[in-house]
Amino acid sequence: MADKKKKGLNLKLYGIFAILVTAAVLGALTFFTYTTRYTAFDPEKMAVAYVDTIVQTGDGYNAFKDTLLSKDMKFGDYIRQNYINPVVYENYKPGDSTKGLKGLNDESLKGEKTLGDNGELEGKVIDTMYPVFVSLVETNNGFDNYDAIFTQYIAELQKVREEVFGDKYFDDEAFFTAFEANLAAYGESLTGTEDEYDANTGVQTKIASVGAYQEKFGEDYKIEVVSAGVAKNEGNKCTVNVNVNVNGQAEVENLPVTLQKIGRSWYVDNTACDTSVLYTFYK
Amino acid sequence: MSEKKKKYMKKSEMFTFGIGLFGVALLTGWMPDYTQTFFADFAFKGKGFDSSVISSQISAVFLAAGIIGAVIELVTGFLIDNTRTRLGKAKPWIGFGAVPMAIIAMLVFVAPNTRNQTLAIIWMYVIYSLYTAVGCAVERPAECFGALCSPDPSERSSAISIASFMKSVGQSGGMVVVLVVGIVMKAVMGQQQYKNAEAQGLDLVISTAVCALGFILFVMIFFINNKERVPYTREKVSLKDAVKVVFTNKNLLMVSLTKLTGFGRGVYGTVSLYIAIYLLGSKDLKLALLLPMGIGTAVGTLLVNFVLKKFSTKQTYILFCVYGATSLAILYFVATGIGFNSGLIIPFLILNFFCGLQHGNTNVTPNIMIADCVDEIEWKTGKRQEGLAYAGYGLFAKIASAFTKALGPWLLYTWSGYLVSTDANVAYAAQTDATLNKFLMIYTIIPAAFVILQGLPILFYDMVGDKKEKIVKELMIRREAAAERDYDEPANDAD
Repeated sequence: MADKKKKGLNLKLYGIFAILVTAAVLGALTFFTYTTRYTAFDPEKMAVAYVDTIVQTGDGYNAFKDTLLSKDMKFGDYIRQNYINPVVYENYKPGDSTKGLKGLNDESLKGEKTLGDNGELEGKVIDTMYPVFVSLVETNNGFDNYDAIFTQYIAELQKVREEVFGDKYFDDEAFFTAFEANLAAYGESLTGTEDEYDANTGVQTKIASVGAYQEKFGEDYKIEVVSAGVAKNEGNKCTVNVNVNVNGQAEVENLPVTLQKIGRSWYVDNTACDTSVLYTFYK
Repeated sequence: MSEKKKKYMKKSEMFTFGIGLFGVALLTGWMPDYTQTFFADFAFKGKGFDSSVISSQISAVFLAAGIIGAVIELVTGFLIDNTRTRLGKAKPWIGFGAVPMAIIAMLVFVAPNTRNQTLAIIWMYVIYSLYTAVGCAVERPAECFGALCSPDPSERSSAISIASFMKSVGQSGGMVVVLVVGIVMKAVMGQQQYKNAEAQGLDLVISTAVCALGFILFVMIFFINNKERVPYTREKVSLKDAVKVVFTNKNLLMVSLTKLTGFGRGVYGTVSLYIAIYLLGSKDLKLALLLPMGIGTAVGTLLVNFVLKKFSTKQTYILFCVYGATSLAILYFVATGIGFNSGLIIPFLILNFFCGLQHGNTNVTPNIMIADCVDEIEWKTGKRQEGLAYAGYGLFAKIASAFTKALGPWLLYTWSGYLVSTDANVAYAAQTDATLNKFLMIYTIIPAAFVILQGLPILFYDMVGDKKEKIVKELMIRREAAAERDYDEPANDAD
C-alpha cells in the first residue's frame, strides 16, 4: 500500500503563530494598562495624584514622591541624606557614603531599655511626638516648607527618644517609625475612624472616632480631585489647574500645580506650588 | 540473552513534558495569590470604594471560583474522554486552550476604569471565574498527559517524575519573576518612580505578562515535541458512567481518598509566620523557614523516582508517609528539647529540609498511581478515561484544600488560645507557653497525624506487582490487535 502522507495541522507553524499572537496581545494589554494607570506619563494625572494624596488624608509627606525631590532617588533616601544622616554621623554631607562611618546608630549605644523594648516605649515616643507633628504642620500651613518640618521634628525626636529610652542611640528607623505613625494619626483626625476588629479573633482593635472632615462635610463625605485643564504649556514645563470637590461641590478651585517633564515622566515642581489651602479648606 | 525493552518516548520528550508542566505551573502558581493582592490593593485604588465590602467580596469571588473550578474539573475530564482527534484526546486541549488562558490571565490584571462599585465587583466575579474555567481546561489535560505519553508503565513513571519535579519548581517561578521585574524596573525607572509604579500594581501587571509569555512558550515547546502514545478507546462515555468511574473503581477511589484523609497535612502553612515570630524570633525568618522545606520538596520529588525503581508505588507511598510523620515528630521533640530561643534556628531549619522530602512523594506517586488506575479501568471496561480519573483526583484535592483552609485558622486562632495585640504600637502580643507549644504542634504533630491518615487508604490499593504486570501485558495485546483492525483508520498518531 502506498504510504499516504496524512494531511493535518502543522504543529511547528501553529506553535510559532500561537506564541507570536499571544506575545502581541500581552504586549498590547501591558502597554495599555501601563499608560492608563501610570500617572507620570500625563501631567494632568500627575497633578491630580499629587493633590489627591494631600487632600484625602492631609498627607503632604507622601505627596513629595510625585515631585522633583524624588526624581533621582527614593524620597526616603532623600530624607536620610539631607536630614537624618547629618544628625547620625558627625561631619556628614549629603551625598557622602555612610560605609564604614560610626555614628549614633552604632549597636553599642543601645541601652537596656532599647534592647528590651517590645514596642511599648516606642509607642510612648510616638505619642509624645504627635503634638509636635501637628504643631509643625499647622504653623507651616502644610508640608511645603518641608525643610523646617524635618529639621525641627528630628531635633525634637532625638530629645524625646533619649528621655524615654535613656540612651543616645538614633537611626533612620526611629524617625520613619515615629513620623509615619504621627502622619497616620493626623490623617485619621481628618477622616475619622470606624470600629475595627481582628478578623481572626474578633477582638476590637480600634474605636470609632469622628474626623474634622466628617464634622464639616458629614459622616459619608466624598472628596474628589479633578483636573480643570492645562493652564500653561511650555513644552517641558506646564501648569495644571486642579479642583477639589467635596460631595459634588467645589471647595478648592483652580489650584495651580506646576510640573516639569524629564525624559518621558512628569514631576510636580514642589518649589512652585502653594498647597496651604489644602490644609485649611475644611476649617 | 535478555530482550531489549522497547522505548516509546524520545529522550527529548521526557524533558519537554516537564517543560510544558513547568510552563503551566508558572502561570497557575502565580495567579491565585497575586490576583487576590491585585484585587484588594491595586485594581480599584483611588476609586473611593468601601474597602471592607471589597475585601469580603474578594473572599466570595474565590469561593465562587472554587465551586466553578470543581464543576469544570469534572466537565473537562468528561470532555477529554470524549475527545477523539489525530493529535489525541488531551493534547488538543492544552495546545489550543493555552492562547485563551494566557490572554484571560492577563485580563485579570486589566481592571476596568470605573467608579461604580457594583460593576467592579461583577467584573471580579466574571473575569476570575472565566480564568478558573479556562485554567481547568488546560491544567487538567496537561496533568493527565502523563498517563498518555507511553504505554510502558516504567517509562511513564519516569516521565511523570521528571514532570512533577519541573512542575513543583514552576509553581514558585512567579516569585522569581516578580523579583527580577522589580530589579529591571528599578534600573530603568529609578528608585522612587519604581515605588510609584509598584504602588499602582504595575509590577504585578508586567510580571503577569512575563509569566503568561513563559507559559505559552513552554507549553508550545511541549505541544510541538510530545505525542500521545496510548491510543484512545472508541466507545462513547456517558456523563453518568464517567462520574461513576471516579467513585466505583476501588484503586482510583483510594488514591483520591488520600487527599481527604490527609487534608490537615497543610495546616503548617497557616502557622509558619507565627513559628518564625515566636519560636525563632523574627518574622523575617518565615522565608528562611519555607526555603529549606521547598528545597526538600524538590529534592524529594527526584528522590521518589529512585525509590520507585526499587519499590512498588504502594510501598513507596507508605514508606514516605512513615518517614514524613517520623521527621515531623523528630522536629517537634528537638524543638521542645532545645526550647524556643535563638539556638533553635539552625536545627529547626535543617530539620525543615528533611520534613520537606516527604512532599516529593505526594507530588509524584499519586500521579503514577492514577495512570495505573486508568490502565486497570481500561482493562476492566474497555474504556480509557484519563480525563475523568485525573479530574476526580483533582476534585477530591479541591475539597481537601477547602477543609485545610477551614481547619488551619481554627487551630491557630481558637484552639491554640492565641492572644491578639490590642496595642496599636505592638504588632504581636506575648503568648503563653501553652500557646507556643500548640503553635509547634500545628506545625509538626498535627500534620504528622494527617500524614499517617493519608497513607491509610493506600493500604487497600492493589494495582501493583503481578496484577499490574498482567494488566499491562493484556492491554498491549489488545492494543496491537486493535491497531491491526484499525490499520486503515487510525485512531490517533500514536505509534
